[in-house]
Amino acid sequence: MHPLERLVNLVALLLESRLPLTFEQIRSKLAEGYGHGDLASAKRMFERDKDVLRDIGVPIEVVATDAWEVEQGYSIDKVRYYLPEIAFTPEEVSALFVAVRSAGDVSAEDAVRKLLSGAEGGILAGFGGSGLAGGPDPNLRQAAEAVAGQRQVIFGYRTSRGERSERRVDALGLAVRSGHWYLVGFDQDRGEIRSFRLSRISGGLAISGEGSEPPDGFRAADHVQAGPWGPGEPRSTATVAFSPEVAWWATGGVPGSEVVATRPDGWVELRVPAQPGQSLAPWILSFGPDAEAVDPPELRDEVVARLEAIVGS
Amino acid sequence: MAPEHDRRGGVARRQPPKAAERLRRLLVVVPYLVRHPGTTVSEAAELFGTSEADLLGDLDLLFVSGLPPYGPGDLIDVDIQDGRIWIGMADYFARPLRLTRSEALAIYVRATALAGVPGLEEARALSTALAKLAEGLGPDTLGELPERVGAAAGRAVETLGTLREAAAAHQRLRIEYYAASGAETTEREIDPEEVFFAIGNWYVTAWDHRSAQERLFRADRIRSVVTTGEPFEPRGLQGAGRPLYTPGQDDVAVTLRLGPDARWVAEYYETVRETELDSGELEIELSSGRLEWLERLLLRLGTNAQVVAPSELKDRVRELASRTRKRYG
Repeated sequence: MHPLERLVNLVALLLESRLPLTFEQIRSKLAEGYGHGDLASAKRMFERDKDVLRDIGVPIEVVATDAWEVEQGYSIDKVRYYLPEIAFTPEEVSALFVAVRSAGDVSAEDAVRKLLSGAEGGILAGFGGSGLAGGPDPNLRQAAEAVAGQRQVIFGYRTSRGERSERRVDALGLAVRSGHWYLVGFDQDRGEIRSFRLSRISGGLAISGEGSEPPDGFRAADHVQAGPWGPGEPRSTATVAFSPEVAWWATGGVPGSEVVATRPDGWVELRVPAQPGQSLAPWILSFGPDAEAVDPPELRDEVVARLEAIVGS
Repeated sequence: MAPEHDRRGGVARRQPPKAAERLRRLLVVVPYLVRHPGTTVSEAAELFGTSEADLLGDLDLLFVSGLPPYGPGDLIDVDIQDGRIWIGMADYFARPLRLTRSEALAIYVRATALAGVPGLEEARALSTALAKLAEGLGPDTLGELPERVGAAAGRAVETLGTLREAAAAHQRLRIEYYAASGAETTEREIDPEEVFFAIGNWYVTAWDHRSAQERLFRADRIRSVVTTGEPFEPRGLQGAGRPLYTPGQDDVAVTLRLGPDARWVAEYYETVRETELDSGELEIELSSGRLEWLERLLLRLGTNAQVVAPSELKDRVRELASRTRKRYG
């Protein structure tokens, strides 16, 4: 008997049986599969099959079949085996396919296929090009597991400034910004919520215990939101003027900014969110002579000082 | 006999036998076929990412399977006629195997990321799919995740709809484009072939009539777009998955030394080489056709970065700084 046939029959047998079956019973019912040779080698074959089934996610349970727990029986719990009914539209399944395919995640692609049977037909219609690019992120699964299970994790981390250290973090959330994933968590050694870009984690994440509840109103994305003012919520404003060449682009790229004046020469004055302690100067300088710091005066002075340092270098 | 068992068991675990892979596929394909009677072989093969031959091979084994005592009335009924498949007598396989936790989490985070892409037409379908997943699978599978994963807001691109439509309908466009590489705005006609999203930005692969070559445009830098009403013949240009920068033969090698506050540059731009120096600085080499964007980048980095080569770049940054300084009187 072909191993695949034996495995299919075993799944069918255990799914349809109302009571747990002992190996003896399985062997006599599935005689073509396990009936040949001596008992010990048949049992070994059964054990291997059981491992294969568990590996692919079939929930085989082992239970005692008599009150004295002498004999063991095997069963598959239907509730745990079957995917719950979820009626997706063809558009929804297609969109999920695009999501996993564009991330280059092959095993997730297989997982979406499990959802196909509950969908209406006509899925192929919306099955065209993916239109997105990206790569699999090795730390993403571990981070998602940690967040889902509210665990504490330990990992090696390198900051954007190149400093390396080991972190112990209660995983609170996951957020994606500009195509990069971040673990948001309570940093046990620093005593505050921090975000960690997954691509800067080396050697994977190790679960080290139970984590903690996030604070009320916690939103993971809030902790990775960033603008020219740096990370976090802006609390003040500054005024910056842009040349007509770049004004349209600069205004569209800064959430929360507003045009306050247009000069006769076409330059546009923009009020932009700012954050005390986080300088806007580098961002303004990235526009070269197409941008000018207007207000506050300290910002203007800082831009001038930076420019003079470069001229004099 | 015991060592024999361990050895074989170990091998089986390290390298799953082909039968396991085939079983995994069958437990997903069969429920679909039970519930979608008459599906064509080619459609099923495409949906489940397998060849028609492999699919038919699996189904061949299926119809000698079933329940004890494996008489004619106990076997799964597989009927393949005129390229269409019907499966009966397999009610116990009418629903697929549950998603494992790891599979469910992977789908959930990937879909969340895509749903957060600004201007995406699939966004609505994705958010309803995510809600159905969270409700259908419940906390047993997804744990705390649905409440705790999110996407940060990105830049909305107003021209996106027009670009995607023109790419689908092969319509030539006239655009005003602000190129960061040269810090200038130009007008040109393009034949847009592929629109895709990569590392936080939307891109258009197009044939550029101004330079008479294939070019990649960042959608948010397209200031205005109008259709010319002229159709074009696609050249088969590559979209998603292509490198975002292709070095040209006139490229210059640029070497920079980055202090801690400038290290992000190495993560953001594609580098040819990265070397950690004893001084704690990171030395990187980039390849670039234009220097204008580098002048502005270096203006932004200020004293956190040093130009090692070419020396021309150093002079140009100084010149740009003094020109910018003049704005402040």
